[in-house]
Amino acid sequence: MSTARNGTHNFKVVLLGEGSVGKTSLLLRYVEDKFNERHTSTLQATFLNKKINLNDKRINLAIWDTAGQEKFHALGPIYYRNSNGAILVYDITEADSFVKVKNWVKELRRMLGSDIVLIIAGNKIDLEHEQAVPTEEAESFSKSVGAQHYYTSAKVNYGIEELFLVLAQLMLQKFEQGSQTNHEASRASQVLIVDDDEPAHRSCCFNSSRM
Amino acid sequence: MEGAYDEIISDNPFFMELRNEYTNLFQHCITQSWIICVPRIGSLNTRVFTIEDFGAHILVPSEELPETHYSTLTEKQVTVNNKVITLELTKGLPLQSHILFEETFYTEDLIKYKVWCIESSLEPTATTSDNVVTKDCLVSINDCIDLLWTQAAGRQVLDQIELNVQIFLKKHPTLPIAIGTLKEAISELYTQCLQTTLQNRRLREKSKASKHILDNIKLAVESYMQHLLFDTLFKSICTSCAYEDSHLNKKIRNMSDIQLRDLEIKKELYHAVPKAKQILSKIDSYNTSLEKNLCLKQALNAVNKIDNSNNVIILTADDLLPVFVFLLIKSGLPTWYSQLTYMKEFRFSGVGRGDGDESSFLITTLEAVIEHIQSGALAGPPDPESHYYESNLTEENLQDNKQRKSSLTESIATSETNCREETLEYVFELIKANHTELVQDILERNQKHLKSIQQNEKSILKIALEETMNNNDLDDEDSNSDTEIYQKLCHPLCNCKKCWFKISKNLLKTSPTTSSRDSHGLTPLHVACIHGKAAIVEILLDMGADVNATDLNECIPLHYAASRGHQNALLLLLHSGANINYPNVDKNTPLHLAVNNGHLNCVKALIYFAEHGRKKMRINCVNEIGNTPLHLASKWGYEGIARLLIENGAEPTLQNKNNKSAFDYAHNLRILHVLKSSTPTLFEYIHITSSDIKKLNCKSDNSEIFKLGKINFKNRDISNNASKAVENLKRIDRVLQAITYGDIKLACFYLNIDYETNTEDRLASKGPLCHPLCECQFCKKTQPQIADFDINFADTNGFTALHYAARFGMEDLCKILLNNKANVNCVNKKGQNPLHLAAIYNKSNVISLLLDNGANINSIDSAGSTALHNSSDMGNIGATKVLLNYNPDLSLLDGTEKSALDVAKKKVHLTIIDLIEKYASKLDKNK
Repeated sequence: MSTARNGTHNFKVVLLGEGSVGKTSLLLRYVEDKFNERHTSTLQATFLNKKINLNDKRINLAIWDTAGQEKFHALGPIYYRNSNGAILVYDITEADSFVKVKNWVKELRRMLGSDIVLIIAGNKIDLEHEQAVPTEEAESFSKSVGAQHYYTSAKVNYGIEELFLVLAQLMLQKFEQGSQTNHEASRASQVLIVDDDEPAHRSCCFNSSRM
Repeated sequence: MEGAYDEIISDNPFFMELRNEYTNLFQHCITQSWIICVPRIGSLNTRVFTIEDFGAHILVPSEELPETHYSTLTEKQVTVNNKVITLELTKGLPLQSHILFEETFYTEDLIKYKVWCIESSLEPTATTSDNVVTKDCLVSINDCIDLLWTQAAGRQVLDQIELNVQIFLKKHPTLPIAIGTLKEAISELYTQCLQTTLQNRRLREKSKASKHILDNIKLAVESYMQHLLFDTLFKSICTSCAYEDSHLNKKIRNMSDIQLRDLEIKKELYHAVPKAKQILSKIDSYNTSLEKNLCLKQALNAVNKIDNSNNVIILTADDLLPVFVFLLIKSGLPTWYSQLTYMKEFRFSGVGRGDGDESSFLITTLEAVIEHIQSGALAGPPDPESHYYESNLTEENLQDNKQRKSSLTESIATSETNCREETLEYVFELIKANHTELVQDILERNQKHLKSIQQNEKSILKIALEETMNNNDLDDEDSNSDTEIYQKLCHPLCNCKKCWFKISKNLLKTSPTTSSRDSHGLTPLHVACIHGKAAIVEILLDMGADVNATDLNECIPLHYAASRGHQNALLLLLHSGANINYPNVDKNTPLHLAVNNGHLNCVKALIYFAEHGRKKMRINCVNEIGNTPLHLASKWGYEGIARLLIENGAEPTLQNKNNKSAFDYAHNLRILHVLKSSTPTLFEYIHITSSDIKKLNCKSDNSEIFKLGKINFKNRDISNNASKAVENLKRIDRVLQAITYGDIKLACFYLNIDYETNTEDRLASKGPLCHPLCECQFCKKTQPQIADFDINFADTNGFTALHYAARFGMEDLCKILLNNKANVNCVNKKGQNPLHLAAIYNKSNVISLLLDNGANINSIDSAGSTALHNSSDMGNIGATKVLLNYNPDLSLLDGTEKSALDVAKKKVHLTIIDLIEKYASKLDKNK
């Protein structure tokens, strides 16, 4: 959960999506950007930390990877509770994986309301010629649920850093709004934030990325 | 991990000066995406920096190897490997500095640059501050103690925390059971401890200087507190989680046969599993949540280190979870839910850090795994027969398997349409899918065929095969075996009608019947019991299936029905005369299996059937490792089953081959309560953690114990002698109970000792008798009547009255007993004499009394521990002090090759360590 302790925001981000859509490679690509894999202190790609600093606002991203298999779907709530952001990954060459993303979005909105920043990532854009999910459909869906839509490719390192940057900015915005409306933004009271649609609306116009 | 270094870079004087005073250089770095290294706050003494200082801390990536090789602006070569910066110097050793963390900065125009916070300056000449570098990461309780000790320059802080905890425990003799209130109470204690800690001036100043130190201090205080509290705290957590734990255990027990492939775990991960399992199963030996967390992390990292062809495979979440599920199931720990609750709810120092750190990720993973197992989403245990089928997969089978997974009935349907041969496998599948009539049909038909063949009844065969057959003399050759039949064919590969008939007839003999077995020795009855198909069990029994047929593991169908919890099938088997006490290859009876897997209904069925059917079921029978069913119920926390067993005469004090009784396995108060209820007239159980008990060399000064032992085991030969012994046993129980209640007078009464004379007229009692054989009033009084009852008489566990008096610290009673010639060195079944018990329970006054009366200070119990070991182990300061006054031998080692000092160190009892070391040095001086 976010806390501005000594000026540092700790944000929790979960990666959700079907198996084999490339969640893990996305994550590795982002964090590895600087350290190649031999330099990472940990060998597991299930939990990674990234510190960023936006205009002197420190953000500590704790990124949690989740298991994509269908049989573990029920464990979702355990992982995504208290998270500030979620990245929903689908494979643009697999229509089914987009259906899965839709389910996740519904579930997240139902369970966490608008407290969570959602980003939908169409991965494997390097295989654009095999695209099975039309761009219009993906974008309009994202818009309708107040999520950002991005195309990424872990293979050719496209769009990933941008995606995380926007996510961080949005989470920061949400957090600051939260503490304005609610001076003592405690965990419990954050659920009660009233302005439901406004941030979602803004986030759509904020940045609309296309290929 | 918690305690990882962090600081606000923009507040670092080095970085501030670079940004504000050397703007041009700074901007240039940003546009060139050079890396800026910032020495951690406090590592540089000087506040004056030159342009060279900055130049030395700006890294320019090299052309060829931009990831690992850099040069500074002062033209020095730098390599980076595994988060360590190495600076080559012309003279001397290369300079090294750790990268503490990296931070990616974005300017307003979203241009990014990277900053590395490093441990020390990259300039060899720079004067480094002697500011103590604290350990980056606290990893164990010893680190925590070390931190609090060194940072406060003394152990007063530790003492204060200890005091706080002791006051807390006195205030709450029994901790609340509800997790919420428990958490509140402990949280309050933590705040209190932290407050007293920060009253220490040194610590306060240091923590003001750096957030990082403050975080570490918090963590250390919390860990030390947890370390002191653990035993009490964890017991109450276990008690409040008793239901969840037993529920989870039942689920896990029923899946204990699960294999790696059942969880779809990648083959590359197989070899790392044993090591990870070993690490993970140690989790209950750690007291603090800090160490438990680390244990989880290490277990996961062990899975990561994969070298199949020396390739490191990065573990993804998709791989991680199934492995973790497997590890949990196989770990054999009975308290996973309590462990989770402890780790999750009793972390206070991390509050404010948020939910996103690594330890919360690890805990969440554990929670997810437990949830997954509990939800039952896991496909239950694989069937024993599936090992066999899946090991020799053919293409066809593979397809079959897929179908089987998707839907059983469907697969049956397809196999029917495929006109599959009526193999045993097919029959098993029908049983599994509960196709009662089909199974009956096939088996009956086959049985008839078989019979007909055996009896040479030709008619049935003829009817079946008349159209294809026209030859009569074939029938004479019926009862031939496989080898022979081929010799009778026209040609081994001949396909003519005649030969084909011969072969098919032979095949009929191998067709499945009620008594045929697969390669694991399973009969159809076994399979029906495994899947709990009561209707089929009934049919099979009607058809005369052997109810006590054993498979390769010597399991009869009753074992499977009991272990899978199929009550109906179980009752059918019992009524058909299944052997209720049949041991399998591990000497487990059906009762063992039903208890182990937590099937209360089956345990009930077994017990009630035995009762009403007048069958003798051995409720205390032991398996290969000496466990009775009650051991298992106690270990896995099945309260209902334990109660049922106790009510039906299970004995909780029996020890298994590891010398553990059911009491030792009880990990929560509820179970303990149930176990205790069985022995209302017996002693209060004394919990002693003895690991390796060597064979006792019983002192046979009272032979009655021996007699008694024999009597107990040989099931009461009723002779005069024995009944007297039983009488005495009852009496000693009464005595011990009286002592437990603190009623000295009553105890004396039972012991035939005159309390009054022994207290008031003590002098008189010591006075000389009129005559050695005098029986006058006065002499009679002083001479205790111990003719029929020996004061040294012991109960079934070898406890004498003196043991109890010492254990409860009753100095007066001890004196009385010793005056009445109680044996001061008598031992119980664990080899402990009264001195040991007094040391364990910290009764210092009794210790000196016993030692003054000739107790041997260096006597060892059956675990090899002396009294000093015991007092050090328990952290009993008073007892240790007294013992040290009597010149104990410090060099004695216990069963685990540890001296008393080692024991104290292991348990981190600081005062004890102190006392023993002081004593040892005094000894040295005297020499």
